[in-house]
Amino acid sequence: MEISINNLTHNFEVNPERLLLDVLRQEAGLTGAKYGCGEGNCGACTVLVDGEATRSCITPVGSMVGRNVTTVEGLTAGGELSSVQQAFVDESAFQCGYCTPGFVISTTALLLKNSSPSTGDIKSALNGHICRCGAYVRIVKAVQKAAGNPDHGTSL
Amino acid sequence: MNASGEVVLRIIGPPFSGSVQQTGAIPKSAVLLEIASDGSVFAYSGKVEYGQGIRNSFTRMIASTLEIEVADVHVILADTARVPYDRGTTGSASTRTVGAQLFRAANAAKNELAERKDSDGSGADTDVVEIEISGDEPSPEEFTRLTPHMGAVRIDGADRVTGKAVFAYDFALDGTAYGSLIRPPSIGAKLVRIDSARAAQVPGFIQLVQANGIIGVVGETKEAADRAVSFVRTRWDETGDDVSDWSLPSALKDLGSDPVSLRDDGDVSAGLSSGARLISGVYYAPYVANAQMEPSAATAEWGEDGSLTVWCANRGPFTERAYLAEHLGIDAEKIRVIIEEVGGSFGTKSQSVSFEAAVLARESGRAVKISYNRHEEFSTSTVRPAALMEIDAAVDQSGKLVAWDYTAFHAGDNAFRGRRGADSPYDAPATRIRVADSPSPLPHGSYRSLGGAVNHFGREVHIETMARELGIDPLKFRLDNLSHPRYRRVLEEVALMSDWESRESSDGVGYGLAVGFDAGSYVAQVARVVVANGTIVVERVDVSFDCGQVFNPDGAINQIEGSVVMGMGTALWEEVEFDGGRVLNTGFGGYRVPRITDVPEIQVKLIEDPSNTPTGVGEPGIVPIAAAIANAVADATGKPVDRLPLQPQISAFSS
Ligand code: FES
Ligand code: FES
Repeated sequence: MEISINNLTHNFEVNPERLLLDVLRQEAGLTGAKYGCGEGNCGACTVLVDGEATRSCITPVGSMVGRNVTTVEGLTAGGELSSVQQAFVDESAFQCGYCTPGFVISTTALLLKNSSPSTGDIKSALNGHICRCGAYVRIVKAVQKAAGNPDHGTSL
Repeated sequence: MNASGEVVLRIIGPPFSGSVQQTGAIPKSAVLLEIASDGSVFAYSGKVEYGQGIRNSFTRMIASTLEIEVADVHVILADTARVPYDRGTTGSASTRTVGAQLFRAANAAKNELAERKDSDGSGADTDVVEIEISGDEPSPEEFTRLTPHMGAVRIDGADRVTGKAVFAYDFALDGTAYGSLIRPPSIGAKLVRIDSARAAQVPGFIQLVQANGIIGVVGETKEAADRAVSFVRTRWDETGDDVSDWSLPSALKDLGSDPVSLRDDGDVSAGLSSGARLISGVYYAPYVANAQMEPSAATAEWGEDGSLTVWCANRGPFTERAYLAEHLGIDAEKIRVIIEEVGGSFGTKSQSVSFEAAVLARESGRAVKISYNRHEEFSTSTVRPAALMEIDAAVDQSGKLVAWDYTAFHAGDNAFRGRRGADSPYDAPATRIRVADSPSPLPHGSYRSLGGAVNHFGREVHIETMARELGIDPLKFRLDNLSHPRYRRVLEEVALMSDWESRESSDGVGYGLAVGFDAGSYVAQVARVVVANGTIVVERVDVSFDCGQVFNPDGAINQIEGSVVMGMGTALWEEVEFDGGRVLNTGFGGYRVPRITDVPEIQVKLIEDPSNTPTGVGEPGIVPIAAAIANAVADATGKPVDRLPLQPQISAFSS
């Protein structure tokens, strides 16, 4: 099946029931999307599907045919960090960084829809994500900072 | 030699400064820093980067000292083949022991390079020069010189936001096979029968392994291994010891050892019966899980010569190597452990996963990777031991403590953990501190501050309960009984930050205070909570924190905020439930941890005092928070609190 990932067309010969997260990590070699729970509870596996934040751990890969999947690797156009990525670095919005790709993706999706989110908007957009290191205070600051900068790293 | 270019200068010496950890297998002299002919610098430490930012602080400090680019500094951490021995990354001591020593090494290199320049100017000296530095305890002046070299923004940040950072869960070798384990359905269950005939038909099945107490399937892919496991038929003999949380907390005391006395000052019995006011309490903190975001994972590969290499995520590559050597029955020298990026570790990440991967790899003759799913992680990982704390305390007419009698029963046979934070800082002339251990029905392990946060919960809730019963303001009651200047300073500071004197509690709105000490640092916290419609909301937490000299204020605040958030989970929701030897809440649905909408406004004030040497920042922030929140909930509801977690108690009461 043909799936567009980070603007490249991939051809996978896999069972369409297989989960998008597994296919990304094991077949496409893209390990930016993380496994945290495998049941839609933590957000670590989040990717963009046509610009919408999507839990890849509960999404069958077969449903991605004809859609555009963007992973955290795909936000870095021409080697430059996207504004969201840069804001997470500048605000030190992580400790271990395992949850970070998921938060970066959901923030990107939020800002594509709402370029000046309130703190309440930010928190409700990110409440499906867990950061066990507890970097939440900084994550909110990073999103606010990124919202001041329109380049979100994807034209979707 | 480790550096790839030609080494021109090498600094050797003890890997840590100060007397701390200068024991056992720690070498008197190891390679700490190398400078190659192309100007690149390599530094070596057995510490692990698990989010506390040591790679960043070491790299920046060395670059800044030598006045070179950070890109030219390579900090090699946690690879047993390349770095000096280390007992493990615990106790929040990395910066003040290893950081200070690398700073000394960088300065020695700097002086040598400057001298060379002065002497011949050509720099074409090709012989390796070795310089030995001492491991003396750094002076406060040395720490003062070190501080400005530490930077805030993480140099490893870009790799974390782009997905480039390779965690143990991401690590892969070409041609790796995958392991999936078959686990006993309950703790202690014994395998009676196993039939893998149908599993062997699954495409990609390689082998069923039964060795060293491990049962697992090796497959060409993770999916194949998992699928094959689902076709393996097993029958188990379950022990019938009905291990469950129903027997807690009373079993902790009933089955506990005789308490060991850690301190016995004055005459406690006389003090308690002196006619002063006696106030007693019993407190309980249940088992809680580390639940770090990256589940356990490891890859193991055997060489033809019987050597073993393991890539994993653990806090100590050398302790991991010793564990593997012992359990596999091979020489530690044959094992290389390499720590990949660690996706969170607040205590122990599983050692067993490396062992399991090594056994499956040995039996199948393939490199094998094992990565736990979330349910495996919750049901097999070590947890913070539950504890029961009994406190009797007596106060005289003037509100002075005369006697403090503290006995804690911590689950698990590791007395060291339960003792952390058990001592009392209060001035009671008669003070007795005793800690017992008790058989643990669950595998127990380390957690942020070990037993520190648990002991502080008991003590600081009891102090506040006493103050309330005596009608004395909790801040005044503490200050009246606490002469230690650093405790007093954090208390006075947090009172100012939170506007303690003018706070207005009402039905449903409460304030709680707690003070603590851990890893050499002092911390006081005030929590403001709102309890409405059966729900506790923590609105604000003020933290004053004294860790002496501060190297990296932003990094310290990041750690303290994280500690508050993590401890808030233990205060409100977290409890590992188990019955019949099975953990029941094995996902984030059943085991509730803090999310972004739960997080209060957190204000942190660092008391930067250059007259005190730097102490820990990663753990102390968690020790008072559960007590501060519990005290605030008691203030809001008018009902005393004696156990965690709090939210289920409020829900039960209001429904
Ligand atoms: S891994 Fe997908 S939501 Fe947790
Ligand atoms: S930074 Fe470690 S889980 Fe978020």
